[in-house]
Amino acid sequence: MFKKLLVANRGEIAIRIMRSANELGIKTVAVYEETDKTASHIMRADEAICIGLGPRRDYLNIERIILAAQSSRADAIHPGYGFLAENPAFSRQCTEAGLAFVGPPPQVISDMGSKVVARQIMADAGIPSIPGTEVLPPGRDGEGIAASFAERYGFPIIVKAVAGGGGRGIRFTQNLDELMKNLPAARSEALMAFGNDQIYLEKGLPNPRHVEVQVLADSYGNVVHLGTRNCSIQRRHQKMIEIAPAPLPEDLTARICETAVQAARASKYVNAGTVEFLLDQDNNFYFLEVNTRIQVEHTISEMITGIDIVREQILVAAGEPLSIAQKDIIFRGTAIELRINAEDPRSNFMASPGVIEVYQSPGGHGIRLDGAVYQGYEIPRYYDSMLVKLTVYGFTWIEAVNRLARALDNFVIAGVKTTIPFYKQIVKDPDFINQTFDTSYIETHQHLLDYQEEVPEIDKLASLVAEINAFGYNPYAEG
Amino acid sequence: MAERDRITPKMTSREILDFVKNTPGVFLTNNERDVSQSDFKCRIMPQTTLKAAPYRDSAGYFAFEITGGATVHLDLMKKQISPFEKLRLVRKAMPNTPIQAVVRGRNLFGYRPYPDNVIDLTIRLFSRYVDIWRVYDFLNHIPNLVRTAEAVKRAGKVLMPCVCFSTGAGHTVDFYLEKVDEIVSTLGDDIILGIKNHSSVGTPAKIAELVRSIADRYPDLPLAYHGHNTDGNDLGRMIAAVQEGVKIVEVSDHGYGGTYSQAPALSFIQVLHDYKVELPGLKVLPILETSDLLRRERRLYDKFESPFRGFDPTVKRHKLPGGAASLALEQAEKAGLIERAHEVFSELIKVRKELGNIWIVTPGSQILWSTAMSNVLHGRYERPSDDLKRLLLGRYGPFPFYDPREWIFQKVLENGRTDGKRWPQVLYDEGGIQKLPDEDFPKLRRQMEAQLKRAVSDEELCLYAQFPRDALEFFKFVDKFGKTWLLPPDVWFHEGGFSDGTRVTFPDESGKTHHIDLVSTRRSGDSVHTSMLVDYHFQTYTNSVGSLATRKAM
Repeated sequence: MFKKLLVANRGEIAIRIMRSANELGIKTVAVYEETDKTASHIMRADEAICIGLGPRRDYLNIERIILAAQSSRADAIHPGYGFLAENPAFSRQCTEAGLAFVGPPPQVISDMGSKVVARQIMADAGIPSIPGTEVLPPGRDGEGIAASFAERYGFPIIVKAVAGGGGRGIRFTQNLDELMKNLPAARSEALMAFGNDQIYLEKGLPNPRHVEVQVLADSYGNVVHLGTRNCSIQRRHQKMIEIAPAPLPEDLTARICETAVQAARASKYVNAGTVEFLLDQDNNFYFLEVNTRIQVEHTISEMITGIDIVREQILVAAGEPLSIAQKDIIFRGTAIELRINAEDPRSNFMASPGVIEVYQSPGGHGIRLDGAVYQGYEIPRYYDSMLVKLTVYGFTWIEAVNRLARALDNFVIAGVKTTIPFYKQIVKDPDFINQTFDTSYIETHQHLLDYQEEVPEIDKLASLVAEINAFGYNPYAEG
Repeated sequence: MAERDRITPKMTSREILDFVKNTPGVFLTNNERDVSQSDFKCRIMPQTTLKAAPYRDSAGYFAFEITGGATVHLDLMKKQISPFEKLRLVRKAMPNTPIQAVVRGRNLFGYRPYPDNVIDLTIRLFSRYVDIWRVYDFLNHIPNLVRTAEAVKRAGKVLMPCVCFSTGAGHTVDFYLEKVDEIVSTLGDDIILGIKNHSSVGTPAKIAELVRSIADRYPDLPLAYHGHNTDGNDLGRMIAAVQEGVKIVEVSDHGYGGTYSQAPALSFIQVLHDYKVELPGLKVLPILETSDLLRRERRLYDKFESPFRGFDPTVKRHKLPGGAASLALEQAEKAGLIERAHEVFSELIKVRKELGNIWIVTPGSQILWSTAMSNVLHGRYERPSDDLKRLLLGRYGPFPFYDPREWIFQKVLENGRTDGKRWPQVLYDEGGIQKLPDEDFPKLRRQMEAQLKRAVSDEELCLYAQFPRDALEFFKFVDKFGKTWLLPPDVWFHEGGFSDGTRVTFPDESGKTHHIDLVSTRRSGDSVHTSMLVDYHFQTYTNSVGSLATRKAM
């Protein structure tokens, strides 16, 4: 087993990984950029190394991170999600430097990272994908392929960047004119965003549901799944609320999960991953992509199975077989996870950086928090705005919803605007309660943004006491 | 001891009237509204009222007067509580005691007449909480009571029209009997008739004569006496009134009040016991307990007590009632006139005589006092106020005894005119009571919503219709600071900064305790940073005190 694990990430996921490492008796090393020096993951680690001035670039600097691992005598690196997690070069260079990479082998990351290669592998394994094209050649050739694809499958058609992911590098087109205009624009955007201008087309499904399956695989050919997750509630293709298991008929769930295991095997998958599918209105499902990393929403799968996914990741990376077989995995209850961000939902979810003046979190049965904030923490403007991930468990769906509402009510966060008031509206929404949601949910429920933000009564009174103190008299009693 | 019968808010107005008529003995009304107004410049805070509420509620009073008069406006301006919110709290805390309000006829809780639809709305909304309405007109012009009285009856509440009482030329028993006749013939006999001795004048014998005369003419009419103890002699008048047939008498708690306001309940009760007068439903112990509590609370309001402590027998001449005296002296203090207060009082005596020997009660008291102050400061009638002009124009009603002298009309009505009109023409063109056009409520609502950026309630509209500027400021205050009446009065009235380590503890409306701990105060330039633990969470608030000068000037 490893002695020391370097976590090449920040925020809540870094802390999440450190917790599992601690439980396995593994020391942890945090890395940080100078601009992130007050982050709480630094305080939670056994050691911390500053890898540069930042912002953002040093967390993406493979050499510096490997150097940090070597200087701290770490024997393994966990990439978390985002940053270098799905960069095959990172996985490869770690291995070359003699460091165990807690994630899939470079070839798997590379294959699954290319949407086109991934689709081909799935097609070879007989797994249905959404109809799509190969990588489009530039210029007129590409336009020709696009036109005949449109003629065969009809609109909407999605233009996607081969190297995209996480909701980025996607353009919806509704007619031929739009499609043609978007090809060069998508290409240049892909180059800017991902350093790779390759694009391809996919048939768009109207208001599909987004269902994914958590898989775990070891180096001995064992593959298990931890059930489904519904991630349909998204804003601009960024997931906001995830639910496990996805509310689907039992036989359909079974078929989707079997297909996910089949996909993992076909891609020679090792470690934890997620196979994503889109479901159309008739419950036909299509392979979308494989995420070769631990995902933000892994917590809901942990809640309904009781399995520590990060722990399994570390064990697999250390060369051990999976500690559980499929028959050992029992699904129980429902879990919901949502991301509490420092954003103002009513100002188009604009980031709301600032100092967390008050942070009071909920607790009690069935509530899990994966956070990286503390009272007095100044949220740096350079990184993502997630404050804390709230995961709730309920024996039934409705119990989980009730608990979610209670947990949201029990949060007290002052100093920055958060997404909590918006979530409070969602948990009261009949469509949400009745599980009537697909990827169009946020778009079709804009009225939920029309809420009044409540300042706690005691805070209002305290602000008056402060005013009396500042003025030396009560201007509202004597005025 | 078994619970004796008492009047409760659950009774209909008819049941209340019958109970009063048919039950031997005397009922007491605790008038905290007037005590607060007369002896503490209206500053008794809801926290104090609510602390005393359980005791007062079990005392078995006929009623508890907690709103009306100047209090409604002062609630908004200096206490930052909605008068409706206060009533809601009192109703909850005193479920067994009827709530009484005093209203100035057409002038409602303000200083000049309101349109009919504002009167209707106000009485209707306040009647959600108020059970007994004490209604008067400062000129005893009975038509001024009609609209309000009709609204009270429509709301199914007890109507207590009052004759304002005073002494001097014209104030004869016959005059007052005529006024009572007019009240009964105009408003009906399903009323309680109030005698309103706000100026604390007249001997017990004079009061006895008045009560006896009314009771002789209207033996079935329940009578109520409202007096002030400014001269220290109201107990005598109260007893005289009771002996001649008054059924309801207003009192204060001896823990505070009893000077410019009503005489203490307990002193009165002790005399009545000796006189073998029954006090149905009344219990003495809660009255004692109320005052034990209020004696401690009184210290919080020390700075609001009158600069002139003790009884004032000179009220016989100047006739300024307690409720007006406290606010008038505050006004004089602000104008730097407190050292010359005796001059103002002397001038007030002259002014009252010159202006028809009318009753010095709101809004008349404000008009006469302001005129006296202005006369002392700027020369006699040199700077007449708009309200004085309205009084002379007869906008409030006719002078009941005699008109002021012509030179006063000339000075007041011709003041500031650029059209060269002489005063008889002004009086002819502009004089008399005017029918005011109804307020455009939808328009007012839109104005408020534009300012507040939210929907507004009918209660808010009602307050805005009466006090547009102050109500709006108040609504903004509440939107920002919430229910500040929850704060202890010593915090609300705090002077100077708080020392580090000060702890403010108070319960919220649901009884949960909250703590605000002052940790530190740091000043940088114009900014003051106050750090505190608010329910054990650290918070820092920054206030710019650069605006201090501006704020004070406002």
